[in-house]
Amino acid sequence: MERRNLLKGAVAAATVTAAAPAISQNAAARTLRFVPQANLANFDPIWGTQYVVRNAAAAVWDTLYGVDENLVPQRQMVEGETVSSDGLTWEFRLRPGLIFHDGTPVLAKDVVASINRWAPRDPMGQMLRAIQDELVAVDDRNFRWKLKRPYPKMKYALGKCGTPCCFIMPERIAATAGNSMISEYVGSGPMTFKRDEWVPGARAVFEKFGRYTPREGAASWLAGGKRILVDRLEWVVMPDPATAANALQAGEVDWWESPISDLVPLLRRNRNILVDIADPLGNIGSFRMNHLHAPFNNLKVRQAVMMALSQEDYMRAVVGSDTALWSVLGGFFTPGTSSYSEAGGEVMKRSNMEGAKRLLAESGYANEPVTCLVGQDQPLLKPMGDVTADLLRRLGMNVDFVATDWGTVGQRRAVRNPPGQGGWSMFHTWHAGADCVNPAGYNAVRANGDGAWFGWPSVPAVEAGVAEWFDAPTAETEKAAIDKINRAAVENVVYAPTGFFKSYQAWRRNVSGVVKGPLPFFWGVSKT
Amino acid sequence: MWAYIIRRVLATIPVMAFVALFVFSLLYLAPGDPAAVIAGDQATPDDVERIRASLGLDRPYLVRFSEWVFRILQGDLGTSIFTNLPVGHMIAQRIEPTLSLMIVTLCLALSIAIPMGVVAAWKQGTWIDRAVMGFAVLGFSVPVFVVGYLLAYVFALELDWFPVQGYTPFAQGFFPWIENLVLPAVALGGVYIALIARITRATMLEVLQQDYIRTARAKGAGQSSILFLHALKNAAVPIVTVVGIGIALLIGGAVVTESVFAIPGLGRLTVDAILRRDYPVIQGVVLLFSFVYVLVNLGIDLLYTFLDPRIRY
Repeated sequence: MERRNLLKGAVAAATVTAAAPAISQNAAARTLRFVPQANLANFDPIWGTQYVVRNAAAAVWDTLYGVDENLVPQRQMVEGETVSSDGLTWEFRLRPGLIFHDGTPVLAKDVVASINRWAPRDPMGQMLRAIQDELVAVDDRNFRWKLKRPYPKMKYALGKCGTPCCFIMPERIAATAGNSMISEYVGSGPMTFKRDEWVPGARAVFEKFGRYTPREGAASWLAGGKRILVDRLEWVVMPDPATAANALQAGEVDWWESPISDLVPLLRRNRNILVDIADPLGNIGSFRMNHLHAPFNNLKVRQAVMMALSQEDYMRAVVGSDTALWSVLGGFFTPGTSSYSEAGGEVMKRSNMEGAKRLLAESGYANEPVTCLVGQDQPLLKPMGDVTADLLRRLGMNVDFVATDWGTVGQRRAVRNPPGQGGWSMFHTWHAGADCVNPAGYNAVRANGDGAWFGWPSVPAVEAGVAEWFDAPTAETEKAAIDKINRAAVENVVYAPTGFFKSYQAWRRNVSGVVKGPLPFFWGVSKT
Repeated sequence: MWAYIIRRVLATIPVMAFVALFVFSLLYLAPGDPAAVIAGDQATPDDVERIRASLGLDRPYLVRFSEWVFRILQGDLGTSIFTNLPVGHMIAQRIEPTLSLMIVTLCLALSIAIPMGVVAAWKQGTWIDRAVMGFAVLGFSVPVFVVGYLLAYVFALELDWFPVQGYTPFAQGFFPWIENLVLPAVALGGVYIALIARITRATMLEVLQQDYIRTARAKGAGQSSILFLHALKNAAVPIVTVVGIGIALLIGGAVVTESVFAIPGLGRLTVDAILRRDYPVIQGVVLLFSFVYVLVNLGIDLLYTFLDPRIRY
């Protein structure tokens, strides 16, 4: 018992019976207090695509399929599926006993409505809609999806963990237009959302849904038996990392999703706290260039920057000297996964400033200002911006350093005007490794011009590789497509990766079942 | 008196109208895009544009302003862009922690600062006076967050006397409520104590030189009677003025204090809204703060008449 509780207990002993503290401690053991990476500002996982919303939504809504720790989609709400021999007709059958949190059964029409709301918002969903012939509920437990051409990645599309996930909601909620936010949170997953206790910016509360039927077997990321072992989950939003560290040490919270690396040594010294890698898929830092305007509309200038760039400099600035947390990339895809490729990526792995200067001179660079948008309020982006300013100046470029906040970067990066007219030349961000395991959800590597992510690169060879990957029937052909994408992305510098880095998570020793993953999984987590 | 109160209340209307216009225009001109924040980093430009259109952020200034004013006149502060919750509801969720923090801080500050200032004036030039003024300089100089972290480290982590963070509603009992507020109130109150103590000392020094104090002494009044009944009452008007002005300090300080101690109050709501460009929330909270500030000033003006019977409106 801690001292403060001891003091409280002494005061309480004068007025209450001895049984009361025991009841209180049991209740505390059934409540898991979690500090999320960010504020749960809204709770519509389709309307917005913030990771924090996805993370909370994964506890409340279930999916038809779910990727396991090997990134293989496994059946989740689906009991089974059949695919016609021509690959055009998919027929799905739902598991029996699925019910929503309002007690109504999950029916095929709910699934169809949920898919219809998700698909226009998701890159894979958009591809499916483009080749869709019909999507209908056959009866209460069966639905059919007829396509105009085969789509081998169907199960992955419905079970991926990248945002937006295809969460299953009741038909009346899924009927909400994609442009509007849902206002009713009736889930299909293992936890209910306590809307009456939700204080955006401060707290979100979830409770175990006793009528949820988990699949047989152990849970593995979004797949398997999602068994909730606590009665109540409280998300406590703490904007200040030092406060979160203090709260974890004092036992006021149980699990902190994203401790900053500066505070990790402090946490490691506390015998009541465990620290481990949060997400083995990590993140990829990004130096994103605007391909529409000078100087980065010039391929040789982009290549010069990539040649000069030292990923180690970025990683040491962003993550620190803990080399267990970062590595240098030779490609664009997530290292440690089957899709990682270094095809054509040798130039990325070591800085060659002299070669870069020669290349820049050959490019005809005319000292145009490089407008660097740097979100100073983001702990990861500010150091990246500082390294970039130094890198570009050493390379001999004219740097226009725009120190601003992330909200402004978010607005300005969408402007396609030249830098001098409200546009930009480059900005930094990072991509979750879970999104970069393949081209399906990896917007940043796409190079389809006007339809591409900010910077609007146009590289037909990349797009050809992406198309090949989507059509690839085997792992070997998928790998060949990935190699092709990687080579073309390096040669044309779709963007410049600034390194691969992971982060830690920390939890109290009395909490067990915490796993590494791209999002915090609350099933299987218990507390004593 | 009543006519004066009615005049002052009516005078708040143009003030609030100006504040509303100023806040709306400032937010309109400020860079930043809530649609980009909502959409998330991986969203495509089309996604951002879609959300911007759905929020009505692509409409002209005058259309948006007139709609907003129309709603305000009906008592509707609007709906948060991010949470889809009414701004009035969000403010209601957050007002108790901030109000509690301010009340406890105010009580703490007044109960410490006024006796400190009185004693410093009484013992002018002694070590007590210098100690009080030294404390005042520290209170002004050390940022709230530094004091907050120090207090949390010593009294929460090391001694385990108080919680590190959080807030417990008053409805759950006085002890849990006050337990969460002691450290934040001390941290926030530092600068306030310093300000009031200095003003109290300076005013008291002036009052203690007056003839009526000499007369009181000559009549044999005791020291405490002279200090607290004769002198302090006459020094009260400037002190009350500073207490009123200090409310603004408290509002500003609450933003930092609530972040350091993870108190879910209006300060954090404001900061979060500003960082995300949640315009309706920013506008609602700023209007509320402005209204409170105007009311506090009105209250102080009225208090003058009780403290100094010569003042008449």
